[in-house]
Amino acid sequence: MTSANQQLPIAPPVAGRILDAQVHLMDRQVLDHDGVPVTTVDDLEVSGPDLDAEIPPGTTAPVITALLTGAVLGTRIFGGRPPSSRLIRLPWKDVAEVGVVLRLGIKGEPLDASWVERWVRDKIIARIPGGRHDPR
Amino acid sequence: MILGDLLGTPVFDADGGRLGRVADARFVLDGTPHQLMAEPRLLGLVVGPHSASSFMGYERNGLTRPRTIARILRWRHRGSFLVLWEDIALIGERSVRLRPGFTRYSTALDDRAQTRSAPEQGSD
Repeated sequence: MTSANQQLPIAPPVAGRILDAQVHLMDRQVLDHDGVPVTTVDDLEVSGPDLDAEIPPGTTAPVITALLTGAVLGTRIFGGRPPSSRLIRLPWKDVAEVGVVLRLGIKGEPLDASWVERWVRDKIIARIPGGRHDPR
Repeated sequence: MILGDLLGTPVFDADGGRLGRVADARFVLDGTPHQLMAEPRLLGLVVGPHSASSFMGYERNGLTRPRTIARILRWRHRGSFLVLWEDIALIGERSVRLRPGFTRYSTALDDRAQTRSAPEQGSD
């Protein structure tokens, strides 16, 4: 194992920006291109590799294909995660910027990730007197 | 593969020796360019010998405030190292196995972290 004060070598330099999943991506808020909150990043989907299969030397590294979001409160408390089919995917190709928040390059309104907000707006808020127009 | 399944998975060397758990996954934005951003390519895994998770990253950056929290978290994640994708032999549901002769790299995200983390790494 590593000795007490041994300084580890720095990883070979890479051309692109470095992102650590837990530090820079997980649990970050996602905004659409108008700055409207869409959801938060609950997990990430990666293109590979196949589980429990030897990775031949020289295999191309997997890439992030989608941000995942969904109803994860229960599984965060009790463990596990929702089935993959229940998670909502935001394709990485729609991500425009990674900073304190993640910004999408598209409008958030039609995304599956914001269906709860749309449902509450249309079924509950809209039935409250005055709920169909901006406050004055 | 869903990345959350990989985090916390035990990591072993080629001889079966336990090295720690997957604390994080490091990506680099140099994959296939799309219209907005390039694809993040998996650069490697951050392995923590003493803890299964590391979400604040004090051991990887140069932050020192608040001092008490920074010291505690840096101590808790002492001995963490980065192993590159090329050194990973197998990723399974319950374990990750590295190739013989793999290299441990510093987990530092910048130069300040590199200079600060070294003296505070504890023995394993």
